[in-house]
Amino acid sequence: MRAKLKWGDLVIIGEVLLLAAVLSAALARQAVGGQLYAEVWQDGALVERVALTEQTDRVIELDGHNTIVLQGKTAVIQSADCHDQVCVRTGTLTRAGQVAVCLPNRVVLRLVGERNEVDAIAS
Amino acid sequence: MQTRRLTLCGLLTALAIVLSLAERLFPLDAVVPVPGAKLGLANVVVMFALTYLRPREALAILLGRVTLSALLMGSVTAFLFSLMGGLLSLGVMCLLLRVEGRFCSLLGVSVAGAAAHHIGQIAAAVVWMKTSAVIAYLPLLLLLSVPLGLITGLTCAAALTHMKKINFGV
Amino acid sequence: MKRIVAALVPLLLMCGCAPKSYKTDFFAMDTFMSVIVQGEQAEQTAQQCERRIAELEQALSRTREDSEIWQLNHAAGEAAAMPTAGGALLTAMEYARLTDGLYDPTVARLSDLWAIGTENARVPAQDEIDEALQGVGVDKLTAEQGNTFALRGGAQIDLGGIAKGIAADECAAILRQRGNDGLLVLGGNIYAVGANEGEDWVIGIADPENSADYIATLGVQDQSVVTSGDYERFFEQDGRRYHHIFDPRTGYPAQSGLRSVTVIDADSTRADALTTALFVMGLDKGMAFCVENEVAAVFVTSDKLVYTTPRVDEVCRFLLTGGEKGYTHAR
Repeated sequence: MRAKLKWGDLVIIGEVLLLAAVLSAALARQAVGGQLYAEVWQDGALVERVALTEQTDRVIELDGHNTIVLQGKTAVIQSADCHDQVCVRTGTLTRAGQVAVCLPNRVVLRLVGERNEVDAIAS
Repeated sequence: MQTRRLTLCGLLTALAIVLSLAERLFPLDAVVPVPGAKLGLANVVVMFALTYLRPREALAILLGRVTLSALLMGSVTAFLFSLMGGLLSLGVMCLLLRVEGRFCSLLGVSVAGAAAHHIGQIAAAVVWMKTSAVIAYLPLLLLLSVPLGLITGLTCAAALTHMKKINFGV
Repeated sequence: MKRIVAALVPLLLMCGCAPKSYKTDFFAMDTFMSVIVQGEQAEQTAQQCERRIAELEQALSRTREDSEIWQLNHAAGEAAAMPTAGGALLTAMEYARLTDGLYDPTVARLSDLWAIGTENARVPAQDEIDEALQGVGVDKLTAEQGNTFALRGGAQIDLGGIAKGIAADECAAILRQRGNDGLLVLGGNIYAVGANEGEDWVIGIADPENSADYIATLGVQDQSVVTSGDYERFFEQDGRRYHHIFDPRTGYPAQSGLRSVTVIDADSTRADALTTALFVMGLDKGMAFCVENEVAAVFVTSDKLVYTTPRVDEVCRFLLTGGEKGYTHAR
């Protein structure tokens, strides 16, 4: 009977199971939403990137022009000294891919994460 | 002798097709949305052909099975994926059979063949659908290939033993 | 040895999966722009787009003193040569005709008067509005020979209504010509070029109540999505909201019962011009216009009703997601 178990069989079976395990792990890491970050840009340069968790509670002041509040997994430009206030009106950002922009002060607040639900928002 | 070989090839091809049809009773397609995803029972025929006949005959049987199966009941994509899986499986088993006896037994060969079959199918699916999302199903398929490979390995060995007993040589 | 080969095969198969993608953002044309390019030489393609946008801004800007449009606006009735802007002006005139003047490149006088979006925003007196209206009307723009144009009656040109559309079309052409796919987000003017690794690009329609959020998604490939709404540039006085989309007939911001209009079209300039016009037209006239001219558009009313024109289902996959916020898809 050529089907007597040999150590080579175990090697092969082991490799197949290992491959399955490795793939699972890699896929699992990708799938779970991932870490959400808030990025604050001013004049084209990244000022700060903050990892957002339930405990996040920070206020970022930008030269007295814009006040950014990071609370929990949300970010918002709470106040600004620009005349059009579009950035403030944009509201609270809660999902990866959302952006709030203050044109006059060249400030950009965006949420970045592994999975964007939409690629862009038309407004 | 030649006629015997030829007849055997024909029989095996027919058997492979029947097995393919039978496999449809377990529609893996529903769980794993890759057209043509199968349990791989028909693999036992190819494996048997590799051990009992020559590689080129095994290849011929494989091609015959895949083409006729697709014509009878499959889609073009199922055909392509089956073909890729089958070829990779054949290649891997062919290589491993060289060390069979010393390194491993038929069990290892068939497990490797089953795993290679699924890898080939998924790889073809990734290229065809232009998305790597289908790789998500590979771990499960690989897991399945161990018990299924063992079954086909045992079946093949049993068949070989029997062929010897009844002195059916080619 | 053969075992090693057998082990390597699956690894090799997984290698072809990561796509090349390049992303850049910058400020241009008075707005925030974001460009994503996929495929070969993505970075060079993106840079070429950025350069082209700068060139267009140079020619079409109303505020830069060395731009062609500025020359035209300050020529006091004399003819001025428009080598780059000429095409844009002709396009503007064409859309003004198509929309019976509801898209009007000469609303500049009104924009200046109301000054929406600046510190001086206010509600002007009726006689001030009447006076400004004297200088409004695309008939006051004439195309002369050899790509020269002239303005009469104190009219002023503002191509802000189609400039980003033109930029989007030209950049989309650059991407296609270089074999790239990508996503161009030029302010509120979005162009999804090709596909996103074989799948649709997903574009959200902003929620007028909270423009960082969205109330519907559009799955598109090779289409431009442009929205005009009353919620970004406005000021409020005595409980009334005055936004920046003017009705050229009355001189007041259009009060049509709409919060926003989104147009989906492979021609971004067309989409850009039409969103403005459709917003002014209002729901009924707007829907009729769209049916007659085969325009794919989404109307969001102040009653939180979302209307889609028949063509929408032909050019994209529309999905309403704002159900919990009270939005309903009306038929």
